[in-house]
Amino acid sequence: MSPEFIIKRFFYLLVTAIIVSMIVFAVTQLLPANAATMILGEYATEEALLALNAKLGLDQPAWVQYWQWFSGVLQGDFGISLRTGQAVGPVILSAFGNSAILAVFSLVLVSLISIPLGVIAASRRGRPLDLGVSLISYLGVSMPEFVLATLLLAWLASPAIALFPASGYVPFATDPLAALHHITLPVLTLTIVLTAHVSRMVRSEMVDTLESDFVRAARLRGVPKRRILFKHALRNSMLPAITVIALDIGYLIGGVIVVEEVFSFPGVGRQLILAIQNRDLPMLQAGALLMAVTYAVANLLADLAYALLDKRIQFK
Amino acid sequence: MNSTRRTLTALTKTPQGAIGLLLCFLLLALTLAGPELAPKDPEEFHFTARFAAPSTEFLLGTDWYGRDLLSRVMAGSRSTILLALLATVIGTVAGALIGIFSGYIGGRVDDLIMRVTDAVMAIPSLLFALLILSVLGSSSFNAVIAIGIAFTPGMARIARSVTLQVRGSDYVSAAQARGEGTSWIMFAEILPNVIAPVIVEATIRVAFAVMTLATLSFLGLGAQPPSPEWGLMIAEGRAHMFRSPWPILVPGIAIALVAIAFNLLGDGLRDALNPQASS
Amino acid sequence: MSFPQFNRRQFLLSGAALGVSALGLPVTSAIAATPGGTLRVGLNITPNKLNPMLARVNSEYMLGEMLYSGLTTLATDMSAQPDLAIEWSSNEDATQWRFVLRENAQFSNGDPVTSNDVVASFTKLLDPETSAPGRRNLGPIKNVEADGDFAVIFDTETPFSDLPVGLTYPTAKILPASLIIESFEGFDQTPVGSGPFRLVDFKPDQVVVVEKNPDYFLPEQPLLDRVEIRTFPDASSAAAAMLAGEIDLLNEVQPTDFERVANGQGIDGLVTPSGRFLDIVMDNSKPPFNDKRVREALSLSIDREAMVELVAEGYGTPGNDSPVNGAYRYYKESSLKSFDPDRAKALLAEAGYPDGLELELVASVKPGYRSSMAVVVREMAKASGFDISVKTMDHPTYLDQVWKKGQFYVGYYNMQPTEGTIFNLLFTSDASWNETKWNNEAFDALVAEADRTTDTAKRAELYAQAQQMMSDEVPAIVPCFFDLLGAKASYVEGYTQHPRGASYGFHKVSLSKSAPTR
Repeated sequence: MSPEFIIKRFFYLLVTAIIVSMIVFAVTQLLPANAATMILGEYATEEALLALNAKLGLDQPAWVQYWQWFSGVLQGDFGISLRTGQAVGPVILSAFGNSAILAVFSLVLVSLISIPLGVIAASRRGRPLDLGVSLISYLGVSMPEFVLATLLLAWLASPAIALFPASGYVPFATDPLAALHHITLPVLTLTIVLTAHVSRMVRSEMVDTLESDFVRAARLRGVPKRRILFKHALRNSMLPAITVIALDIGYLIGGVIVVEEVFSFPGVGRQLILAIQNRDLPMLQAGALLMAVTYAVANLLADLAYALLDKRIQFK
Repeated sequence: MNSTRRTLTALTKTPQGAIGLLLCFLLLALTLAGPELAPKDPEEFHFTARFAAPSTEFLLGTDWYGRDLLSRVMAGSRSTILLALLATVIGTVAGALIGIFSGYIGGRVDDLIMRVTDAVMAIPSLLFALLILSVLGSSSFNAVIAIGIAFTPGMARIARSVTLQVRGSDYVSAAQARGEGTSWIMFAEILPNVIAPVIVEATIRVAFAVMTLATLSFLGLGAQPPSPEWGLMIAEGRAHMFRSPWPILVPGIAIALVAIAFNLLGDGLRDALNPQASS
Repeated sequence: MSFPQFNRRQFLLSGAALGVSALGLPVTSAIAATPGGTLRVGLNITPNKLNPMLARVNSEYMLGEMLYSGLTTLATDMSAQPDLAIEWSSNEDATQWRFVLRENAQFSNGDPVTSNDVVASFTKLLDPETSAPGRRNLGPIKNVEADGDFAVIFDTETPFSDLPVGLTYPTAKILPASLIIESFEGFDQTPVGSGPFRLVDFKPDQVVVVEKNPDYFLPEQPLLDRVEIRTFPDASSAAAAMLAGEIDLLNEVQPTDFERVANGQGIDGLVTPSGRFLDIVMDNSKPPFNDKRVREALSLSIDREAMVELVAEGYGTPGNDSPVNGAYRYYKESSLKSFDPDRAKALLAEAGYPDGLELELVASVKPGYRSSMAVVVREMAKASGFDISVKTMDHPTYLDQVWKKGQFYVGYYNMQPTEGTIFNLLFTSDASWNETKWNNEAFDALVAEADRTTDTAKRAELYAQAQQMMSDEVPAIVPCFFDLLGAKASYVEGYTQHPRGASYGFHKVSLSKSAPTR
């Protein structure tokens, strides 16, 4: 992996971020009703609307608005929320921190569960165990998050069981145990849905690997099956698995939006929904950008990890 | 055609493929005939039978307005499955065309297209669909377009990588030497190679499309009530789930069936089309 | 300055003498109440800004009431009660009012609340540039001026005997005069008020925390040390939190969740009949709704009792196409309109639509029962030949493109303190939100006369006529009123759910000894 490769990828990341901001900005320009309509709401008069539009700078040409926003971002200033009047930066960063906790816990759990599951299914390909794992994972992919989340909420947080709190959030800094307790249900929801998807992907990658020449060669050499499975095949399937998990971060982020809505969890997803509903463009821009950059960075890291691991395997 | 038959034969040999094919066939039949076969008017209220459990009169029970759930699920099959298919087709066709074009042309155009698809992929598809629906207004058709657009970049990526593999092949060089036009080469020489991997991906995407449609309904965008679209039925049924599980269970199982059917088919197709696996 | 002679009969109320009982709380329970503790409140709408003059949603009204005071507050019987003003009186024809302020109120910055602040606040509130919601709901105020340090005089354009009630409007709060001029925008984030509580933490999308104001003007109030307000974007998770004991009080329980929540252990369900309604708004100025027969036909197509059952889950009362119901003071009872599809069909044919009428009914997705009502109307009206398709849209788009502009949509309105307010808000020709464009001069005259009448019996008669006229002419269809539904833990005492839905009285709330200690 040459430094040029890393620099090039990093440059691509920047370009992606800029294009994302342009796309989101362009789409928001087309939205019916703007922040001024939403702030004044039912009580707006024509004059008040015009005045507020001017005050918020919403009467300027789109490209001027974009440039103002963009040059602010370059200086680390994400603007002022049109909805609450608070600075966007700190609000969205703290929300991002909360979402990141959900995402990281879910990803770790997903990796721990879905990779062994996928390997087992692949090694018993076409047998009842494979079909069983597939069926369970199909059920996972076939349930929209909001249904699963509501079911978990109604069951595990019901007064009769009361295993977990129904809502809310405790910062890790104040009470780590209570924090874990509060994120269990959202993390569980995301994990179930993602495990289904990732384990299927791992299975199919694993199937390919098991059919590959070098595994056949190993088998012909009389290497024990277990050893082939975990030493040779798994190592090779890890790479695609990493890529799949990185790609699924996009899906995870989408799931986070829904889960945060159901569990009243104060993360980026909640901020984004509120921002769309209130036409709070600075908040919307910042949230969408943050999500896109997270996704792009995750993929960049996966690619770098791929390149690193790949090299080791080649040289071994 | 011969290769299609071979694929189908290979498909039916794997349990996933066989079951998936059968289920998809049944669902297709439901889509075609379901609304006409529904035993009752799917919109008719039965005031005295709200939240009824399954009985001989209402085979799958009723919802909060006393509407017959069996009839609603049957009537909704057409819109639900067709909409999901349509969204997938839009994403697949657009993605394949963009991917082939970008991969074949190469150079700066390719660079630019890839950066834009990177950017669109980086925006979570649910967020993207939410934004597009907020612009276009909620309707089933707009939801389909939104999901189609969100699916496009992923498909473009797949199509492009296949195109890059075959671009340097002998038969493409031969076609170029014959002086064939760019579009002819793209459609006649490259497209056939792209179809297989894209179709595998597309079958899996159908389930995602059903899910995303349902989630958009949950967030208040998408199908219009009182449409019996399954996602909307679940989203509306959620408010009543503690009084009766049937309004959410029945369309939920229907959605699960679609997801399972298309996933099985996709897995089966993947195995059947995988040259290593089939040998 | 000279002040007109007071009419003894018009001398309405002396708050100081009535003390605590005037605030609607039995004196005994106030004495027995245990001070201290933290109340956790669940809300369904996220507050955006803290400036009470710009408050638009219930969560903002709630915060405004905790952090600020107004001149008067609204009792649950829709009468005005003292807040900063301890007594008031008007001249004979109710065109001039004098409000006497209490002298022991102070803002959280330590300054006393004086008539100067009241005048500055009302001047700001009535300034069109402020775009304060409800600017036109206070009453026909012409002029506000100070009468010494602790009295203010209001002049009205027309006689208006409801002024003390009008001034209870949730945005009519008193802010310090100096800050109104210096930094009005500062109130968005930093409250400076004289309410029973003070702000500790404002994370609008997560939690808002207020604590007891030790300098509050009412003795021994507030009883609570702290109130935490949490918002729940999803109704079912709010219900789950209430059932799990994570919150002590839940404002706005969905009708579909109510029975389950109210049956929860240690939970009291709260049902308050209210004038909150959903209506089917029709543009009376354009075809087909400019024909009264069409409106009447639709009105006859609706089974109102079934509507209450299907849309409000039984927690409501049927309406008769007038926005006034039993929760108002001058409600005139009348027999419920019948459900008569045959007659509706005949009327429709007479109006020139023998083959039925195709319409598109728009409903915002917020709150959820707007679209429920649209779907039910569609189904009910099928029998009379209406073919109504439902179109839902997100709330911003609805506000921008349909509300006040659309021809046929579902409206949603909170109860107002007086009949005059609701009529002048929606149905008179110069109504703030004249969405029906009914523009009926006879109705306008009737309401205007009722508004300025001071004789209660005559007033009741005039408002009754106005209600009847709406019921006959059907400018809009009001099929159903909604009860306000809430829930509280049994150990929460002194909380009365207010039918207006915009007033809470948390300074009177306490936690009993059986409350869990946290």
